[in-house]
Amino acid sequence: MSTTTAPPEHAAPADRHEPGRNRAEARWLLWPPLAFFVVALGVPLAALVLRALDNETGGNSFTAALTMPVFLDALGRTVLMAAVVTALTVLLGTAYATAVAVSPGWLKMLLIAALLLSLWTSIMVRTFGWMLLELPRGAIFWLGGNLGLMDEPLGIYQTAVAMYPAMVAVMLPFAVLPITSALAAIDREQLNAAAVFGAGPLLTFRTIIRPAITPAMISGGVLVFVMALGFYVTPLLLGGPANMTVSGVISGQLRTAGRPDLGAAMSILLVGGTIAIYLVADRLFKVSEKWG
Amino acid sequence: MTDRSLLRAIGWYRTPIIAIGLLASLLFFVPFLVVVATSWTSGSFILFPPTGFSLQWYETVLTDRQWLNSFWLSVVVAVISTVAAVLLGTLGALGLTRIRSRALQRWVRTLFIAPIALPPIAYAVGLWSVDRRLPFLDDTLVSLVVGETLLAVPYVFALVSSGLAGTDPSLRPAASTLGASWPMILWRIELPPLLPSILGGALFAFTVVFDEVVLSVLLLPPGTQTLPLKMFTASQEAFSPELTAASTMVSLLAILVLGGAQLASNRRNRAARLRRKASA
Repeated sequence: MSTTTAPPEHAAPADRHEPGRNRAEARWLLWPPLAFFVVALGVPLAALVLRALDNETGGNSFTAALTMPVFLDALGRTVLMAAVVTALTVLLGTAYATAVAVSPGWLKMLLIAALLLSLWTSIMVRTFGWMLLELPRGAIFWLGGNLGLMDEPLGIYQTAVAMYPAMVAVMLPFAVLPITSALAAIDREQLNAAAVFGAGPLLTFRTIIRPAITPAMISGGVLVFVMALGFYVTPLLLGGPANMTVSGVISGQLRTAGRPDLGAAMSILLVGGTIAIYLVADRLFKVSEKWG
Repeated sequence: MTDRSLLRAIGWYRTPIIAIGLLASLLFFVPFLVVVATSWTSGSFILFPPTGFSLQWYETVLTDRQWLNSFWLSVVVAVISTVAAVLLGTLGALGLTRIRSRALQRWVRTLFIAPIALPPIAYAVGLWSVDRRLPFLDDTLVSLVVGETLLAVPYVFALVSSGLAGTDPSLRPAASTLGASWPMILWRIELPPLLPSILGGALFAFTVVFDEVVLSVLLLPPGTQTLPLKMFTASQEAFSPELTAASTMVSLLAILVLGGAQLASNRRNRAARLRRKASA
């Protein structure tokens, strides 16, 4: 197409001839998934609201949930954990992605193999691994004992700290993958030019690499933060019953406390919080476009 | 295939960065190796380092009906949900390209990715509340399968969308100008080059559903367990080497299947590159 004026966005010419056909096409393609979203997402969320309002004791489940010390403690613990894990994951993920890009052959293979191993094995199995490491007489204690560093059994298992390393390990691939593709997309000529004109590593990082990978760091970070807020298995098994996150408290309301209305109210608060954070971040940083 | 330009730009920082990367890779390797090591103990407790060597716990798992039933239940749920998620995610990714309005396009894309951000436990409580209101859904796998499908759709959608971004956008209008109807264009022109992305999405969806445990905690009919749920309850009740033996086996299976798929797709890509070079 050789036009002198700027052509509009890639509007397909055939579509302009027959807009009606295009609309029928969009309808046929989009209706089934959108209907599914209404049933699979809309109906359960509505049921959640009804369930929360249906309070046997006659009070308001939301105020009851928000004044429960167990819930508030768990909320604080969850947000702190998600924030720390996100920061660590993004920093470590940036280093990891860079290391993959600049490693010589066999080291690169090793780093990629580690990443794939983590992606392919289930979260349950990885969490067991961390349990076995962190148990009072577990693998870390064994290693520390053999190196002569430790003679007291390790006291980390089932404390709030115990979930941190495991959460970082579970979340790390979600930060590494987008940063890897952002690094691969940097204009090599720009890097070469910087080197030719004598820019040092720090200047090159500040002016070329960092701006290029910042969007990926943000979208990876948002995803990790939001997923960490709702994580269930890893914090529950490693933090133990005394250090439950919000997810653990919610399941406790249903499975042991017999207060599904409170569980539903807490679920709504959790869903509302995470989806609000996700939507705001999506508007600001186009997180879904990094994915879709 | 080291990245020369990036290497030069990073300069002497290379060594410390690689060192950090290697230390971080221990976070991936070590827990897995510990699980594997404890599974071949000849004792009856999970101990590290393992005492002796035997495969007795593998035999125990492989002859235990409960473990086998939970494995097959997981396979069934994952297959059904994967098929549904592949259909819905692919339709969504294709449908997205037909939307004209940029704003609407962004909203639809956000909607399709959003289930990744949905806290699974809260969503499980929602599905559980639906089951309480519609008693005929109790004792069925319907709500579990629907839920797992929703959680898997974003991965298929993301992979097919990025596959679509790499296809030639002028093929569709060209075929349309030549008089092909849109279902025919879809079937003959658009879907064939997307097949690798769709298969990749299917594999990803299957892995996600197969490993997902939170929905099954609340939604499974009494007396049935998926494999991750069986592992979860076993870890809370009796922490025996059965658990690590089962973990090792299912991980090795995943590594074989997914690694094989990865190799096959690498080989296909290389063959395609060579063909292109030959025809150029």
